[in-house]
Amino acid sequence: MNEQRPAEMRLARAFVPFQTYRTTFSPEEGLRKGTIFPELYFPYRERER
Amino acid sequence: MNGARSRLELLRRIQALEFTAIDLNLFLDTHPRERRALEDYNRVVRELAAAKREYEEAYGPLVNFGHAPSPDGWRWIDEPWPWEVEN
Amino acid sequence: MWLYEKKLEYPVRVTRPNPRLAKNIITQYGGPDGELAASLRYLTQRYTMPIAQAKAVLTDIGTEELAHMEIVAALVYNLIKDAPLSEIKAAGLDGYYADHDRALYFVNAEGAPWTAAYIQSKGDPVTDLHEDMAAEEKARSTYEYLINLSDDPDATDVLRFLREREVVHFQRFGETLQLVQEYLDRRRYY
Repeated sequence: MNEQRPAEMRLARAFVPFQTYRTTFSPEEGLRKGTIFPELYFPYRERER
Repeated sequence: MNGARSRLELLRRIQALEFTAIDLNLFLDTHPRERRALEDYNRVVRELAAAKREYEEAYGPLVNFGHAPSPDGWRWIDEPWPWEVEN
Repeated sequence: MWLYEKKLEYPVRVTRPNPRLAKNIITQYGGPDGELAASLRYLTQRYTMPIAQAKAVLTDIGTEELAHMEIVAALVYNLIKDAPLSEIKAAGLDGYYADHDRALYFVNAEGAPWTAAYIQSKGDPVTDLHEDMAAEEKARSTYEYLINLSDDPDATDVLRFLREREVVHFQRFGETLQLVQEYLDRRRYY
């Protein structure tokens, strides 16, 4: 167990990687999309009608 | 109100700027030492404050309880309320 | 202290009544995975968070969820306010009408009232943050089902915005979970 980096992945523990700051959408595009972060934008494709 | 931007146009701009502030705020909560995000946050705060000032001068307070002045009468009660805006 | 800002976080436009769609969307107002439940869950869990960042995240996301509750309310209100009684009956909203007319009430899509049993506040920050991440996923799924059901492009546009916010909130809760686990590990090992 590496005690210098206690947050690394280990058994029986959920892990979500930290986001790093890159570019952002413009305010108008961000509002339209629901986030200003391109790497967090996962639009839904309809599955059934 | 010649030359003034329309209410909805200004409101859209405020919504866009404030949304950027919300998303950056949440990012900074978990990344408080991210210097570029902090700079972007402070920039959008300034732009948002200017847009809100322009809106409030023309259409009355956006926020209650002492956060915006109401020099020309008590305009806080003016309609439309947010759920009435677009219809 | 909370302040009210006289605007919606995201614009809501409704061009024609649609009580059938309103009956479904209202679950995000007062249903098990809706915005009221989300907001109250985070705002009541924040008191027992062990680190400042977690208190901030729960306060801020809990506050944003109130804004989402208002967006859902605006959507439902405008979808039913001008609906004729015949359409309300055809949509199966007549039971709701009997109790509430066209007013807003906290119910799920089948009319069951909101209950605090929808949420938990466990005192263990790791446990609570897992619940919060699950809550964001449950709300995301619900918005996807609502998008599948929607026959109104303007409503769908709002539902897509709200769905994407669940994705962002999940990421922030995930990061908060890492920060809390690191903090608890440090306390355990040093």
